[in-house]
Amino acid sequence: MNPLVQLDHVTKKYGSFNAATAVADVTIAVAEGEAVAIMGPSGSGKSTLLNLIAGLDRPTSGTVRVAGQRIETLGETGAARFRRRHIGMIFQFFNLLEDMTVADNVLLPAQLGGQPRAQARARAGELLDRLQIGQYADAYPARLSGGERQRVAIARALVNQPPLLLADEPTGALDTANGEAIGRLLLELNSAGQTLVLVTHNPDLAERYAHRVIQIVDGRLAGDCPAGMAGARCSGARA
Amino acid sequence: MRPAATIRAAWNGLTGRPLQAIIIGLVALASTAASALALGMAVEANAPFDHAFARDHGAQVAITVDTARATAARLAATTQLHGVTATAGPFPLTEVSARITLAGASGALQQQVVLTGRAKPGGPVDDLALDAGRWATTTGQVVWARTRTSLPVTVGQTVTVTSAPGSPRLTVVGIATSVTGTAQAWVVPAEITALRGPGVAQMLYRFASAATSTEIADDVSSVRRALPPGSLIGTPQSYLAVRQQASASVAPFTPFIVAFGVIALVMSVMIVVNVVSGAVVAGTRRIGVLKSIGFTPAAVVAAYVLQVALPAAAGCAAGAVLGDILSVPLLSLSASVYGVGVLLMPLWVVVTVPLAMLALTCAAALAPALRAGRMSTVRAIATARAPRAAHGYAAYRLIGRLPGAPRALAIGLAAPFARPARTLLTLAAILFGAIAVTFGVGLGTSASRAATDLSGSATQPVQVSPSAGALTPAQDHAIVTALNRQPGLLHYTAETDDQLAVPGLADPISVTAYPGPARWTGWAMIAGAWYRGADQADVNTFFLTATGTRVGDTYTLTAGRRQVTVRIVGEVFDTQGHAGDVFMSSATLSVLDRGLGVDQYDVDLRPGTNPQSYANALSARLGPRLDVTTTTNGPVFASVLVLDFVLTVLLIAVAALGVLNTSVLQIRERAHDLGVFKAIGMTPRQTLAMVVSSAAAIGVIAGLIAIPAGVTLHRFLVPVMGHAGGTNVPATLLSVYSPGELALLALAGLLIAAGGALGPAAWTARTRTATALRAE
Repeated sequence: MNPLVQLDHVTKKYGSFNAATAVADVTIAVAEGEAVAIMGPSGSGKSTLLNLIAGLDRPTSGTVRVAGQRIETLGETGAARFRRRHIGMIFQFFNLLEDMTVADNVLLPAQLGGQPRAQARARAGELLDRLQIGQYADAYPARLSGGERQRVAIARALVNQPPLLLADEPTGALDTANGEAIGRLLLELNSAGQTLVLVTHNPDLAERYAHRVIQIVDGRLAGDCPAGMAGARCSGARA
Repeated sequence: MRPAATIRAAWNGLTGRPLQAIIIGLVALASTAASALALGMAVEANAPFDHAFARDHGAQVAITVDTARATAARLAATTQLHGVTATAGPFPLTEVSARITLAGASGALQQQVVLTGRAKPGGPVDDLALDAGRWATTTGQVVWARTRTSLPVTVGQTVTVTSAPGSPRLTVVGIATSVTGTAQAWVVPAEITALRGPGVAQMLYRFASAATSTEIADDVSSVRRALPPGSLIGTPQSYLAVRQQASASVAPFTPFIVAFGVIALVMSVMIVVNVVSGAVVAGTRRIGVLKSIGFTPAAVVAAYVLQVALPAAAGCAAGAVLGDILSVPLLSLSASVYGVGVLLMPLWVVVTVPLAMLALTCAAALAPALRAGRMSTVRAIATARAPRAAHGYAAYRLIGRLPGAPRALAIGLAAPFARPARTLLTLAAILFGAIAVTFGVGLGTSASRAATDLSGSATQPVQVSPSAGALTPAQDHAIVTALNRQPGLLHYTAETDDQLAVPGLADPISVTAYPGPARWTGWAMIAGAWYRGADQADVNTFFLTATGTRVGDTYTLTAGRRQVTVRIVGEVFDTQGHAGDVFMSSATLSVLDRGLGVDQYDVDLRPGTNPQSYANALSARLGPRLDVTTTTNGPVFASVLVLDFVLTVLLIAVAALGVLNTSVLQIRERAHDLGVFKAIGMTPRQTLAMVVSSAAAIGVIAGLIAIPAGVTLHRFLVPVMGHAGGTNVPATLLSVYSPGELALLALAGLLIAAGGALGPAAWTARTRTATALRAE
């Protein structure tokens, strides 16, 4: 199967003098339909890796290919357009726009992409219903619980039907019950064919909701194993 | 709390936000420059005259009396009147016709001259300054007065009194200056007797209270009451009128510079309040940290005021220097009129204005700084930013539903509603900038039209005059023949110029006479109509003011023993020489002054004819003894245009800085949201459109309000400027805005806003998404 995401010898350094290396020579691939968890301790570089896959940041060296496109070569405009079509993102702290209603938050990526309003509205309504938050369409995010907000963020990430969903600590700001619910939701999405890359430091989440677990330590690839073999049993890096 | 810690905190806050410091500094610079210029010009406009008046004990009032009624004893009694502090006179005087031959010129000039008999130049009032030669000691000698309009007579020349029996010749032995222009020439008193003067004398007074025209009027009334009825001849001359004339070259500048100065002050206060409020909002965590480590509320206030004061002090100092530099060309105009050498802006203005501006800036910073001082430490650290404004949600919903509006644009348009107070301050800053543009453009048009009206460059672009003296009949014929043969001619008229002395006026009045219809010469009418018959005349505002007449009145002009009464049928816009000017037919003038020849021909050309080419061709036909010149606009109006342009640009820059500041604050507050926008697919172009449109929305509203406000300001200030220069203004100088121009000017607010927001917007568009997402 063709990889949807392919990183080759990717290195990311910050600063020019005494540069700190956030990601060092990482090579990984994610196939279509796969659910991959990137794990590691705080400051290990896993969020940087996710930003590089999303085209939010550029690698210092190496190549990042998503859906066959070298995204590190794209300019800001090209990267923004690419994200609209191919990537949905969800964040630990939801990153919803507080001054917009739930519906407007979900509609925004579609509208930025020039999708006709009626079509975008229909898609947003369908997603909100599917995620069981349709009743909050006209509410502002401040009125919603953490779990509900994360559902809104997921709806926003999926509105343009991107082939790749990136999630940065999606349950990190939620209580256990809400975290479980969001985890199950992601699993359902993946079961329906949605490729998923999630960053977490929660081994339980990784084991239960991902096919594969990639370990990152000090910016380096420390392990790449099937979900059931993570932890002590998985130590070998896999290209 | 040690002051050093507060200073260090302020300094770190300042260096941490260099753009904010630069904006404060530039706003202070522009405002100080405009204010210093405004005050300096207002103060110095009258300075040359005031200095000379104090030095020479100038006459506050000069009256002309009929000595047959006002005897020497009665005049002496007026010196003892209550309020009279010093007097000089009576000096006998007479008006004569004189033929004057100027050095280096062929032919002679005929002019009416008022001769005053004075034994010596000094005295308790009107201490004359002898500029060249010596004082007259015997009959046959004359001391010529140097005034702004006097002929370039030099010591040694002769003046022939043609109106006296035997046409006696007077030799010019000296050149003197009277600060209030009490005479055109002085002779020894015996000369007046020899010339058979008509029994008229001049008295000069200084009073205890003579600061205003009302006080002067009261002073004159007391003198009038002390003399037999009908003793006073003509209009008493007030030094205030001379003072006003003296400053007339600079005074018109003052009102509009003051207006620009006030606008700059208001704008700078608004922008400073905006800057500091924004700094407090953006630096909430910093305030919390400062307080948690022991900063008292007072120390926080001091640190924030200091953050504004330091760049403002630098800006104010630089602004004082810039204002001083800008004042140089204007004050040199004033200095050259009175020949007082170099005039500088008063030191107290250079010192006071920047200090006052600094104090104002610090005062503007105080309110938001106090808010910072009162802020809860725990909340400041916990929230990391000031409570997010809950305004504008409805605006987002409404604007977001506008059919066809791109989403990024809609988000930008709704942004101003989130912080209404800041939006209002920004709106005001743009509004004042746009008002300055509207007013500045209008003033530029008015100044251009005034220059064209006064010079006649549009209606009489070519003039033909003799190289010296009046035209001979042969030259007259040659000119008419050449004009009729030269292609491109539309109109031409002969013009005769004369000067008439009017008792009570410091300077003689000018008379311009045309033999036939001359309405096309293009003199702009302020009121009334162009003269039609021999008993009618038009006059300028100076004449009406000096003689106390109005359009519709009759006035008797005299030249020696000849006189003619005319009805004043129109007020003409004419400030040349800042003296009275009368327009009439040649037939009317010939009653007063017979035998006057033509002085020049005024020529109007067909559309499309190049004046210079026409003048060159005509000159080639006429030869070197006749000067063919093209009329050009005067340098004073060029100065107005340049200053108008500079000040308008200065205020546009201040307004744009205000917008830039607002955009930076908005971006800083929404940095994280901008990162989210980008993360979900907003392109740099859409980001740019969003940031610019939020400022542009305010700019459009400001532009629409600025149009009526700017036009109103123009309609108010242009007449004020005219009055400061001693003239009313014609309607053509007020109705200067065409509908198309107004439509373009309405875009001024939009352009200022877009210009100010473009830099921060471009910076935001370029910022990497991951960097923006990391922002708090």
